[in-house]
Amino acid sequence: MDYFDRFAVPHSSPMIVGSQIAIAVTVLAILVGVTYFKKWGYLWREWFTTVDHKRIGIMYILAALLMLFRGGADAILMRAQTAIPDNGLLDGQHYNEIFTTHGVVMILFMAMPFIIGLMNIVTPLQIGARDVAFPRLNAVSFWLFFWGAMLFNISFVVGGSPDAGWTAYFPLASVEFSESVGMNYYAIAIQIAGIGTLMTGINFIVTILKMRAPGMTLMKMPMFTWSILITNLIIVFAFPVLTVALALMTMDRLFGTNFFTMANGGSDMLWANLFWIWGHPEVYIVILPAFGIYSEIISTFARRNLYGYKSMVVSMVAISVLSFVVWAHHFFTMGHGAMVNGIFSITTMAIAVPTGIKIFNWLFTLWKGKIEFTVPMLYSLAFIPIFTIGGVTGVMLAMASADYQYHNTMFLVAHFHYVLIPGTVFAVLAGFTYWWPKIFNFQLSERIGKWAFWFIVVGFNVTFFPMFITGLDGQARRMYTYSEATGYGPLNLLSFVGALGLLIGFAFLVYNIYWSTRYAPRNVTSDPWNARSLEWATHSPVPEYNFAIVPEVDSSQAFWDSKNNGPALFKGKYKEIHMPNNSGVPFVLGIIFFVWGFAMVFSMWIFAIISTLGIFACMAHRSFEKDHGHHISVEEIEETEKKLRGANA
Amino acid sequence: MKIDNSLPLEYSTEENRLKILGFWIFLGAEIALFATLFATYFTLVNRTGNGPIGADIFEVTPVLIETILLLTSSFTIGLGINAMRHGSKNAMMVFFIITLALGAGFLGTEIFEFKHYVHIGAGLQVSAFTSILLTLLGTHGAHVTLGLFWGLFIVLQVKKRGLTPETTNKAFIYSLYWHFLDVVWIFIFSFVYLKGMM
Amino acid sequence: MNMKQLFPRGHVMGFIFSMVLTAVALGVVVYDLSFKTGMIVLLVTAFMQAGVQLVMFMHAGESEDKKAIYTNVYYALFIALVTIFGTLLTMIWGYQ
Ligand code: HEM
Ligand SMILES: [Cu+2]
Repeated sequence: MDYFDRFAVPHSSPMIVGSQIAIAVTVLAILVGVTYFKKWGYLWREWFTTVDHKRIGIMYILAALLMLFRGGADAILMRAQTAIPDNGLLDGQHYNEIFTTHGVVMILFMAMPFIIGLMNIVTPLQIGARDVAFPRLNAVSFWLFFWGAMLFNISFVVGGSPDAGWTAYFPLASVEFSESVGMNYYAIAIQIAGIGTLMTGINFIVTILKMRAPGMTLMKMPMFTWSILITNLIIVFAFPVLTVALALMTMDRLFGTNFFTMANGGSDMLWANLFWIWGHPEVYIVILPAFGIYSEIISTFARRNLYGYKSMVVSMVAISVLSFVVWAHHFFTMGHGAMVNGIFSITTMAIAVPTGIKIFNWLFTLWKGKIEFTVPMLYSLAFIPIFTIGGVTGVMLAMASADYQYHNTMFLVAHFHYVLIPGTVFAVLAGFTYWWPKIFNFQLSERIGKWAFWFIVVGFNVTFFPMFITGLDGQARRMYTYSEATGYGPLNLLSFVGALGLLIGFAFLVYNIYWSTRYAPRNVTSDPWNARSLEWATHSPVPEYNFAIVPEVDSSQAFWDSKNNGPALFKGKYKEIHMPNNSGVPFVLGIIFFVWGFAMVFSMWIFAIISTLGIFACMAHRSFEKDHGHHISVEEIEETEKKLRGANA
Repeated sequence: MKIDNSLPLEYSTEENRLKILGFWIFLGAEIALFATLFATYFTLVNRTGNGPIGADIFEVTPVLIETILLLTSSFTIGLGINAMRHGSKNAMMVFFIITLALGAGFLGTEIFEFKHYVHIGAGLQVSAFTSILLTLLGTHGAHVTLGLFWGLFIVLQVKKRGLTPETTNKAFIYSLYWHFLDVVWIFIFSFVYLKGMM
Repeated sequence: MNMKQLFPRGHVMGFIFSMVLTAVALGVVVYDLSFKTGMIVLLVTAFMQAGVQLVMFMHAGESEDKKAIYTNVYYALFIALVTIFGTLLTMIWGYQ
């Protein structure tokens, strides 16, 4: 039995026991349910083995929504714990675990996959391509992310959660101060998901550079596609830094090396340095696609051409470079001289300039537009002022000498939520609502959507604005409780109320999906928003091959032009279409990585070695495999097209 | 599959061209990866704790042997690709096998070197410096090891399937990888060993 | 194939060049140079070696994607230098 002791959670509580039971029951229920309804074959054929970018995108978003609720549960618990002074709902250790998993889950397993999901669904359609450059690799990316995320999540019920913050600073993250396997989960699960993300980066750069429809020069790409290109560029060059940092952390924890230790020459601050060399670009990885989404939505519903196309592109390119030269603003208080802090203060403030340019461009697009207040547009309009507050407080933090006051207070927490939530979260919700009819051929209810919107926007501000004030008053972040004498009580209670508002908002969102799936009118047109870019030029739902005929393009809003007496998009006749084959290997590879990760977390070397061999076997299999894909004949295309045209005349 | 005969076989299909560009971008990521390891090395090089410093443990001879083996292998794989472009399957295979043999020689010397380090008290756990030294060298060594297997698979495939758009594409991409490992080694040779012995 | 085809001039020259550069770099440990001079020699030889591999052996400029490939390499180089010198700045030089 001793062998199994290691899997017990070291610091258990009724809540954790409850979750262990709930998770076990849910997993069992899913397994039994799928078996009972005989759905394994369907799942395997249509989803687990798919290499279709649209289906992969849907799976990414499903997983992201799941993780949104996991991270949301953490968040509500944190706000509940701090709602009143000297609260005893959670103890210090549990609070540590919860803010750690909240941060990791929200950034890496919610924001990232949500964005990658949307980019999977939309990018190939926007450039008139039939799939991504490497469809099989795309499936590998997804399954590595998925199994990495699952590995991270089971830490809660098997062996103990990580507890050193999402930034995992040393020495807190060392074996000395974090004895359970929690931080092993952190290092290894993120590593697995990160490798998947890196491959996504390569895949989409090649897709966008090489697979655009004829006539679509770089400067005629839709703005969302531009933002995705730049985002993936940042991914490709930032994620290797994380790979190395996590590998060194793993070695420190498992093999007794001395990278970040306090003895034998190790340097704990080196971890912070490496983490933020990745970390700052990472915040731009999650914000740039949001900028792209807003650009599409704002120009669609203001019924105007996007203002300042060129300056939008130039500012994104500038951001991609600047985002790599500002990282030290996360540790101005580390103790280096005025010289270093000065340099990084200036670069940080400089990055606000291209961001500001973009804000003005959106405002000019709205200027004199005939604005239509749909749900996606409401999110976009709310984003502009709220995000600006986040940006302005960012510039306040960027002043190194002032940051000594703000650093690690609730003011900082308010800052990054003011950029991340209106930036990334509103954007993915807006994009989700906006592109939903493209995938499912019906719209989400605008009425319920607006309820969700108002609860989320108001709830957000009520939750996070008070933190600016308590932060300036000196309330430190990550403290699990405070005394009444500090006077932080009332504003923290207000934050909790706001968090409940957010919860209600998200409940409306779920209800909307349920309600609209059952009752929303079907057979809307394939272009329900009267939009501008190519994804709306094909049928909804989109056929496997995306476009029966590859479109020809001569502007950044070719579809809009073709609707308004411009040149036709689709010329010529149907031709046989070549498509990639499905494969089960990516799924299996994901599971092997999961087993490998689990074995590494618990230092079970035999399993680790066996699964490593399994990983190499998958790679060798790929090397020797012959796979030429399959062809869709002209007759099949004609039949599909006829059916779909009937669906949305 | 549309084949463009005006281009070398490895570039002849759209899929092949996508793969080559994709691999270049992967190499960009690899540059960032090794740069991070170098950054860590330069930060920790003087943090030797109670362990040895570089000058105590580095020796010219094995390092020079490794360098010459790897540089030569980079030359021979270049010749292999050249032969492949002339359509000479046999010459290509000979050059590839020579490359793999040189690579194996490199790896053998490196393993010998590692054993020596552990033996003289410069093992992985001794100090921040030895940790990053062996990790940097080890990451490069692991890449070479992977490369040896990959190269072997390619030789087997060329032998069985001949020079097709697929096999030539794999071989070409593999040659990019191998040259890249050579470049990384040059930087290790210069800024780890020579700088350390200076 | 004849010898000339098997051993094209460009490749042979590249190889000889890389051997010569190695020998020059080795000079820093053979001769008693100052740290600064030594580092300059190493920087020059290492980057020239990398250039030889890139241009002569890896054919970076031969395809239609020449621009994308070079942009990628330069961008990577930029990131590499920023990572290395930025880290030195924040971890070592910044304290002096
Ligand atoms: C106008 C541009 C921005 C500026 C000038 C800025 C500045 C800063 C500074 C100086 C800090 C460190 C403060 C401290 O630790 O004391 C910081 C933290 C942070 N910022 Fe920003 N920021 C900007 C935009 C953004 C954006 C767009 C995002 C994400 C979408 C973001 C996310 C974050 C996060 C996540 C943290 C801290 C995380 C942590 O310590 O846990 N920032 N920002
Ligand atoms: Cu930052």
